[in-house]
Amino acid sequence: MIKYYSITFILFLVFSTAFTQTKFTMSGELRDSSNGETLIGAVVKIIETNKAISTNTYGYFALTLPSGNYTVQITYLGFQTKILKVNLDKDTKLNVKLSQKSITGKEVVIKGEREDKNVKSTEMSTVELSGEKVKQLPVIFGEPDILKAITLLPGIKSGGEGGTGFYVRGGGPDQNLILMDEAVVYNPSHLFGFLSVFNTDAVKNLEVIKGGMPANYGGRLSSILNVSMREGNNQKYEFNGGIGLIASRFSAEGPMKKGKSSFLIAARRTYIDVLAQPFLPKSAQGNAYYFYDINLKLNWQLGPKDKLYFSGYFGRDILDFISPTNKSVNLNFGWGNATATLRWNHIFKPKLFSNTSLIYNRYDLFNDFKFGASGFSVRSGLYDWNLKSDFIWFAADKHLVKFGFNYIFHTFTPGIASGALGTIKIDEEISKQYAHEFAIYAQDEWQISQRWSVNAGLRAVAFNRVGPYTQEIFDNNNQKTGESIKYGANESIAFYPRLEPRLNVNYLINEESSIKASYTKTYQFVHLATTSGAQFPVDLWVPSSAKVKPQEANQVALGYFRNFKNNRYEASAEAYYKVMDNQIEFKPFSQLFFNANLENEMVFGQGKAYGLELFLKKKVGRLNGWIGYTWSRAYRQFDQLNNGEAYFFRYDRTHDMSLVLSYTFNKKWTGTFVFVYGTGNAVTLPNSRYPYRIGYDPQTNEPKFTFIDVYDKINSYRLPSYHRADLSFVYTHKKTKNWESNWNFSIYNIYNRANPYFIYFLPDLDKLEVKAYMVYLFPILPSVAWNFKF
Amino acid sequence: MKNIIIVLIVLFTFLACEKEITIDVPPGKFQYVVEASINNRFPLLNYVFISTTIDYFKPDLSLNGIKNAEVYITPGVIIGNDTIYNKADKVRLYSVDSLSKIIPELDSMVSSFSGVYMNPFELIGNVNTPYKLDILLNNGATAITAKTFIPRTANIDSIVYQIEPNEDNDTFGKAFTKFWFVDGPEKNNYRLAVNVSSDSILYGWGACKFYQTFDDEFANNGNRPFDFFSPFNQGDTLNLYLSHIGRKEFLFWESFENAENNVGPFATPGNVKSNVSGAIGSFTGYAVDYKQIILK
Repeated sequence: MIKYYSITFILFLVFSTAFTQTKFTMSGELRDSSNGETLIGAVVKIIETNKAISTNTYGYFALTLPSGNYTVQITYLGFQTKILKVNLDKDTKLNVKLSQKSITGKEVVIKGEREDKNVKSTEMSTVELSGEKVKQLPVIFGEPDILKAITLLPGIKSGGEGGTGFYVRGGGPDQNLILMDEAVVYNPSHLFGFLSVFNTDAVKNLEVIKGGMPANYGGRLSSILNVSMREGNNQKYEFNGGIGLIASRFSAEGPMKKGKSSFLIAARRTYIDVLAQPFLPKSAQGNAYYFYDINLKLNWQLGPKDKLYFSGYFGRDILDFISPTNKSVNLNFGWGNATATLRWNHIFKPKLFSNTSLIYNRYDLFNDFKFGASGFSVRSGLYDWNLKSDFIWFAADKHLVKFGFNYIFHTFTPGIASGALGTIKIDEEISKQYAHEFAIYAQDEWQISQRWSVNAGLRAVAFNRVGPYTQEIFDNNNQKTGESIKYGANESIAFYPRLEPRLNVNYLINEESSIKASYTKTYQFVHLATTSGAQFPVDLWVPSSAKVKPQEANQVALGYFRNFKNNRYEASAEAYYKVMDNQIEFKPFSQLFFNANLENEMVFGQGKAYGLELFLKKKVGRLNGWIGYTWSRAYRQFDQLNNGEAYFFRYDRTHDMSLVLSYTFNKKWTGTFVFVYGTGNAVTLPNSRYPYRIGYDPQTNEPKFTFIDVYDKINSYRLPSYHRADLSFVYTHKKTKNWESNWNFSIYNIYNRANPYFIYFLPDLDKLEVKAYMVYLFPILPSVAWNFKF
Repeated sequence: MKNIIIVLIVLFTFLACEKEITIDVPPGKFQYVVEASINNRFPLLNYVFISTTIDYFKPDLSLNGIKNAEVYITPGVIIGNDTIYNKADKVRLYSVDSLSKIIPELDSMVSSFSGVYMNPFELIGNVNTPYKLDILLNNGATAITAKTFIPRTANIDSIVYQIEPNEDNDTFGKAFTKFWFVDGPEKNNYRLAVNVSSDSILYGWGACKFYQTFDDEFANNGNRPFDFFSPFNQGDTLNLYLSHIGRKEFLFWESFENAENNVGPFATPGNVKSNVSGAIGSFTGYAVDYKQIILK
């Protein structure tokens, strides 16, 4: 079947391009003149033919046209438009540098966006933000955060107060593929989820694909968050930094060889540990928590056709805990991600661009626990080796073909424990799990006519869980039987070949409006083992197996896209419907940590989500920003949960609204106002209880017992709605030749809304009633951060 | 994980605020609840407490104990793969109301614990023995049954402690305590209960101050320490009840402890496992070893 589809698809591509006459190719790279950074999504338009193309992730474009004289218009929001006259009588290279527009009141724009992409591209369900825009938004603790910023976009919901978890179109937190320069980030959070691992000084651009996923992406059901790191200034040395309330950051960048190669190194560390020490009681002295991260980016222009990039990330969260009641009890706990990406851009021909990446990423967790003379260490985590190659073939006038492959070798380390308990030496290891994940894809973005365009793609994926692996056998009471099944090296344990067709269609009604539709099928072979809505450091990633089938999703979306007033305003209305199979939940009180029988804790079911997303954005002017509204529903159904009845997904949110308004008062002052509203999360509350473990204390003549709660329907209660307004003002000092700085004054939750974090109950024995108390985390919270550049 | 939760709760304590809210949750369905235990050493700890679930938002101080139940425990005999429960060996348990006339110590418990059934004169558990519980309610219209097994007795080897000065108390120091126990080569499941009292008699397992349920999955077959992370006070009399229990019973008490500690923002709603048919709860057989020490 795979073969049949593949051959049909290749024939389709070959025939559809063979009859198109091609002559010469105009190709090149677009860069920011001030620092040499490539421009992603800039538009190259041929005035005479009205044909346009966007630059890719590497700032590269190519157009094939009949010979002749052309007027080429290059536009990129926030940059001065450039118009060039080109006599195309041979393959021609256009490497163009664009200059940023100066801020003069009405010309203020959101930088880094293609003006009419919303209407004309086949892409839908995709939103972008620049690192620069993120820095303008109100912040909490003085720390700008891209994961918090994206939850202000429609269809992307925040997991909860202050957290970085996000949920896309009814999907779970593990169903978002988070990429930093192509490397997977398995745990994107610091500070137990309150801050993300992304240092905004190192971030150039981010893109979230919620649906209509192109065939070059796969591996997760719900979304792709693609974070591109900055390359570093290849013109001059520059230093950036910021001092916030709980963390500071510093970065250095500059040319290694002017105009040819550059570096960027950015580091960040929190000083919660230092700040908290004076306030800690004597009994808690020695306890400390801190995190740090380092980003590194290097790039070299090896020649006219070759470019090499290296991106690296290393981050750690560390917690040192000494029991206040017993100093011999000590916990040293840490976790973190490390990624390394080596990318090679090669231009085979002006029409054929390629990128090949070798990627290594790992997430690990360590836990050293000492008490008295005993102690043990537990390690867990995973790492991937990932090789991928993507080709962009500017095949013909009306075809943009992408194809490539991706191979990942996963190694999961569920747990290694060592140490001693008294005379018993602990030396345990849960068998490592290995898997090959392979994908090959092709897609054609075909401009069928002036009005119709199609992006059709097919991704063939295969997941092969292999040995060596020792599967221990457990009895019905979750106890080891002593028996096991051994798999030899590379022996297949479970093999899942799958096809993922993708289709995006755009019907251009006129220059300012279009209707788009998409169909996306996705599979996911790695799953997050978590029992909480928040992503904890101890949560494990587990691979598909014979019992754990790949998660599967089918999504359709239909949208109307409209731009107004020469693309100054952008509007869209998008409806989606998504069904998901082989969804995973964990039984209540599942033991996730160091559990060799983790699969026994899982239950499997289905999910369904649908909704309507409305979006209006003003891109230009002193006042700019957007308003997004989503109406949606998300359900789960598991035979073993809730008596088999469907229930609301924890992050089902009927209404979700966000408003972001920025106003530039003058060259010095910019203000941003944010308002968010969301229906309360669906939660499960107890509806009865019983006394248990009874006893009687003869000394006090009092009964002793514990109340145990009984839960009935899952997620049948709604927390109060969530809403909040934030405000920030950025004051920019007058720039000098060698120095720039600004202050970000933010007020989080300006009207001091008590937003629900969780609910707990206390009995009032005098009145014989139980009272409910809602805990809210952040009241009105001012913060200040100072950013500088020299 | 528990340590992380503790740290997070401390963190939230600094940051969080709270306010009272009104919520409307419909009452849950009515269920019988059984807490039954049998052990090899303490007759007063062989009891069955029968109650019902209570509407969460209308607390009832009477604990809803069920009177007028017929309660029987029958020891079994294992023959090959079969377990035989002989009706002739069946022992009836009586309501504590009626027993208090014979055992004065129980008198003060009556008002608190109607619904407790026991028979300290006839019922004592034996190790390596299965037991069956039968409860008849509503004149025999409702039947509740459960089975358990008392395994081999646990083995407390020694208790050690170290007195250190207490900054908050000049008279009594802090007693950092641990005990050692012998874990055999077989798979063992443990339930530890600790009471601080000069009286070795326990009136219900709930009278203790500290509990822990654990197994020997990671550290099997040897002399194992158990460290109390928090110190006791110098002068305390420590009563240690270390029991071997069956695996199903272990799973019940493990989930019970999870439910008991299931608080805060990351609480995961879930119901305690049960090994009783016709009700929720557990029938647990304890193979108890007991030691007492005064922390001088």
